[in-house]
Amino acid sequence: MKKIINLDINGQSQEVTVAPHQTLLQVLRDELGLLGTKKGCDTGGCGCCTVQVDGKAMYSCMIFAMSAQGKKITTVEGLAESAVLDPVQQAFIETGAVQCGYCTCGMIMTIKAYLSSNNSRVPSDLEARQAIAGNLCRCTGYQKIVDAIRLAATRRIATGSQKG
Amino acid sequence: MSETSIIGTSVLRPDAYDKVIGGRGFPVNVRLPGMLHGKLLRSPYPHARILRIDTSKAERLPGVRAVLVPSEVPKKKFHPVFFSPGMAASMIPDMLILSDTVRFAGEPVAAVAATSPEIAEEALELIHVDYEQLPFVLDPEATMKPGAPQIHQHAPNNIAMAPAFAFGDLQRGFEEADYIFENTYQTQRVHTCYMEPRVCVVDSDTFGNLTVWSSTQHLFGLREKLASALDIPVSKVRVVRPPYIGGGFGGKLDIGFIEPISALLSMKTRRPVRIEHTRYEDFITTARNPFKVVLKTGVKKDGTFVARSAKSILDTGAHATHGAVVLMVHGMYGFLLPYRCPNSKWEGFTVYTNNMIGGGFRGYGVPQAAFAVESQIDEICEKLQLDPIEFRLKNSHSEGQPHPFEPSFKLDTYRFADCLKQGAAQIGWSGGRSRGKGAGTKRRGIGLACQPLWVSGCVGFPDIYEHSGAVIKLNTDGTADLSMATIDMGSGQTTTLSQVAAAELGVPAEAVRMTYADTETVPFDAPSHASRVTYSAGNAAKAAAGAAKKRLFDVAGPMLKTTPDNLETGGGWVYVKGATDKKLSIADVVKQAESPYVRMVPDGMQRTSLQEKGTVMGIASLAPAANPSPATAEFVEVEVDTETGEVKVLRVVYAHDIGRVINPAGAEGQVEGGFQQGMGYALMENLVFDQDNGACLAADFLSYKMPTALEMPPEIKSVFIESNEPTGPFGAKSLSEPCAIVPAPAIANAIYDAIGVRIRELPITPEKILAALGKLSE
Amino acid sequence: MPSATGKEFLQPNSHQEVVELLVKHGERALVVGGGTFLHGLLARGVLHDLDVLIDLQKVGLSYVKHERDVFSIGATTTFAELAASERVQNRPELGALLDALQYPPAQIRNMATVGGCVASATPLFDLPVAFMVLDSSVRAVGPKGAREIGLHKFYLDYFEHVLERTELLTEILVPRQLSRSASAFLKLETNANDLALLNVAVRVALDDKGTCRDVRVVVGGGIGKVPVRAVSCEDVLKGQQPTLALLKESGNVVSFDIHPVSDFRTSAKYRSTVAKVFVRRALLRALDRLGVHLDEPS
Repeated sequence: MKKIINLDINGQSQEVTVAPHQTLLQVLRDELGLLGTKKGCDTGGCGCCTVQVDGKAMYSCMIFAMSAQGKKITTVEGLAESAVLDPVQQAFIETGAVQCGYCTCGMIMTIKAYLSSNNSRVPSDLEARQAIAGNLCRCTGYQKIVDAIRLAATRRIATGSQKG
Repeated sequence: MSETSIIGTSVLRPDAYDKVIGGRGFPVNVRLPGMLHGKLLRSPYPHARILRIDTSKAERLPGVRAVLVPSEVPKKKFHPVFFSPGMAASMIPDMLILSDTVRFAGEPVAAVAATSPEIAEEALELIHVDYEQLPFVLDPEATMKPGAPQIHQHAPNNIAMAPAFAFGDLQRGFEEADYIFENTYQTQRVHTCYMEPRVCVVDSDTFGNLTVWSSTQHLFGLREKLASALDIPVSKVRVVRPPYIGGGFGGKLDIGFIEPISALLSMKTRRPVRIEHTRYEDFITTARNPFKVVLKTGVKKDGTFVARSAKSILDTGAHATHGAVVLMVHGMYGFLLPYRCPNSKWEGFTVYTNNMIGGGFRGYGVPQAAFAVESQIDEICEKLQLDPIEFRLKNSHSEGQPHPFEPSFKLDTYRFADCLKQGAAQIGWSGGRSRGKGAGTKRRGIGLACQPLWVSGCVGFPDIYEHSGAVIKLNTDGTADLSMATIDMGSGQTTTLSQVAAAELGVPAEAVRMTYADTETVPFDAPSHASRVTYSAGNAAKAAAGAAKKRLFDVAGPMLKTTPDNLETGGGWVYVKGATDKKLSIADVVKQAESPYVRMVPDGMQRTSLQEKGTVMGIASLAPAANPSPATAEFVEVEVDTETGEVKVLRVVYAHDIGRVINPAGAEGQVEGGFQQGMGYALMENLVFDQDNGACLAADFLSYKMPTALEMPPEIKSVFIESNEPTGPFGAKSLSEPCAIVPAPAIANAIYDAIGVRIRELPITPEKILAALGKLSE
Repeated sequence: MPSATGKEFLQPNSHQEVVELLVKHGERALVVGGGTFLHGLLARGVLHDLDVLIDLQKVGLSYVKHERDVFSIGATTTFAELAASERVQNRPELGALLDALQYPPAQIRNMATVGGCVASATPLFDLPVAFMVLDSSVRAVGPKGAREIGLHKFYLDYFEHVLERTELLTEILVPRQLSRSASAFLKLETNANDLALLNVAVRVALDDKGTCRDVRVVVGGGIGKVPVRAVSCEDVLKGQQPTLALLKESGNVVSFDIHPVSDFRTSAKYRSTVAKVFVRRALLRALDRLGVHLDEPS
């Protein structure tokens, strides 16, 4: 039975009609037109669908949309403040971490969540890789993505910024 | 601003901004009003005849708008490979859009278009198919034996093709050899794993004209093959260039079933129809073919090759698809050509089985060959106590000699020796045979593998159409619109081509924008494949920019009161040569060109010349002048846990004669990504099937293992040697495939160096290592 | 994907309500914790007749309590919440639990629930093996009331445990461990987002003379239908002073207790071989946590 629910997406309340088995990924893409969250496998194996739920990185392909009610959902569309990119987004551009770009948004959401709760120092190479172990990339070999993580962390610490 | 401030600079990708904020340009995001959703019903059996299909219940399901069955599709067989024209003699047209004989588990048998993907899926379950199961064969050697099930009428013994080439006198060569080595190598089926699934939207009008959006690596190929499959003229098919696609790696170099089916459903329903593969469907419809390679090699004791023979068997699955060309590239660029040898023979077999169909995948037959050839060279060097670098140099080609495949070309630039020497210095190579022999459970070793010869595009290849085109127009604001059919699949094609055009025009890199293109508006460009875009399409972009620049000079000459040939550009300005104060902005020159012939001025009217009016633009459509070869050497250090067999890659040094680096970050990115694919191929990736029923066992990312960030080494160092290839745009030749070809043999050789065992079958799993060490116990 | 009709998504507010719904809907209903396992099954087309999804996030089962030396972990506690809980950190006796929680990627840790993992009855999962080595039990409530079942008796077969369809797993209970205890867990996997080819959990308790007064070894992964307690390994060490040779022997006898399977991931022989190594290495790690360093020559 389809129901009308309200979801808090990027700080905005969105009314949407969903069926019980529909995933958050489906609802974001097909009902709400938020195409930044991608489907790479639909089985929680690739990370392209990663969003933040109450600040925690999760696979949106594995979340029933109905269970997302009452939670704060953040997608990649919610990161940049008008023209100013989020520091993680900016770092991705600068280090050459974007090739085909399909994994990029999922990576960025994962990394943002990681840096928000690990903000006292720049992560080591190993820590940065552990942070993105749940996100697959076939283009970059991850090297420049790791560079972007450490660049974003370095800048965050340098500016004493809580953002990013 | 000279060319060197753009060429050789890590210019930021123009599409990176779009991709980090959401990436709208992927074909998977195309949405059209009134769009229907298609789904394919697939055969569960590896070999079967369809006796009856009953779609009546499916047709009655609310929301279903059309159903398609085999009896409704054109009966003319086609081959799906983009870069080879339909009439090419060496290609094998053995496919139908929907067939009533299915030859692999997963082959489509029917399709549905409905108002939602869920309804389409539900409709599939309401289609009833009566199959007559037929005997099937999954083993590529069993398939050639008498009595094996016949898979295609046209191929006795299921041999799709069996080319052979021989040079010199092989028998005499073996007689002259001091040592003969005979080894057999086996590689596995792996999936391309592009992250954006195959997806298309096809729209039709009442005249049967089609418009196609697809995650594809070739606009013109898709047009031609779709027209061929539907048996309609090419002019009825328009393929729109996506701003970028989410990865291809060779896996999107053919027409899938989805485009023709989507087209037929669209024509039936008079609505656009979208079909997107699930990841499962992607896993079972494209792969790198498995190979068995048998090498017999004769050498003198000083390491000179005197006789080399090889036999290769390629399992092409249910339809030939790429199997014809992959075999040839494997034989040529994998075996016969990379090294010199006076007496050689190669026999190849592309055989049908009831396994899944294959596609292209970075390296295109050569990763399989290089694994064999480079592993065996290591073995030969070990036995003869020869240095692996000296051995290769002894048998290699030289700069300036004729190209070994196409003698009308020359190896104008060829720095294989530099690759070996510089790579060796970076990794700390000491001949490589004294390491890892210590005590303890973890052993380290260093391995070397090379790809001494490669291509920059396909000029010279029989039956492959290599050609590039570009249109560039200057705008009155000093920017330029570059329009090319070239697909950017992530390797940075758009960035590279924009840089080349900008450098040639003399404008800042950001001033050139890659813009809209489709098969009706731009000249032909070959696919994004065969490591060709920088060299071939780059040359076209450069030529078009050069033509536009010439036109610019025609307009600017009179404005600067000089002749057009006395001008140059840089940084967005047109200068008089040697008098940099005499200049005009390119924007102003273009404004002049696009201004009225007669202008009102304070004291009356001013006439300008009609000659220098009009759009300042350039067009090029050309084949490259040559097919220059890069060269590659990779050194890999591994650590093997001798109790569990697990292998960790510690360091990688990759050296490549690239001609000229256009974008350093982009070039490094190719090497790093290529290593992920090569390492996955070497150690863990394996698309396995149930041998009892042909079902895929590894069709999701939990079961199909590819390297995450944690499995990758912390360091991959790229060494680019700039030999300045005269025929390449600003000296560039190709890069992207060799870096995916050499990791597997380099890792295999490093494992040997670490623990003294040779494993000649991929993937080299921990289990195989323990087995080779004699450590497997109950 | 299941069809869109006839499906309900319910969010009850207490575990009693859940039980009532399970009784009411019977076979048509399934509870959802984090949803990761359920989704895997749905996406692979394995669950078709599911009509009623019962979401557990509002029933108040997300907690980690430590009362009278017993840890009780609410069934909907996520992996990340458990790993971050101060109650379980810095306790060598719970090392196996924390080791097991490190393996999955962040997204899984944030979503997957402890109860969902235990209730899935998949021998390829990690937490059940870690819980078993700590002699944990599960608490379940049903129409007939509540009951507590030791994990060693909980699993029957692949995807099959002793609970009725109308019972809800509400808590995992980790009992007080012997003093001077440490535990450890190792997982054999191909890449970082993988099911265990093999996993091993061990627990060691030493007396004040450094003798093993209690040892537990549990093996999971592709070694059979349910995780196995490797008593043979335990017997080698019990009552003995741990030495490298003894640890190696303890590892070697694991083959008496486990019956690994061959599947497309790897062979039984490989699992057997590495089980011996992993038992030894897990024991080394546990002893290390007790300050007993039996260094191997490197």
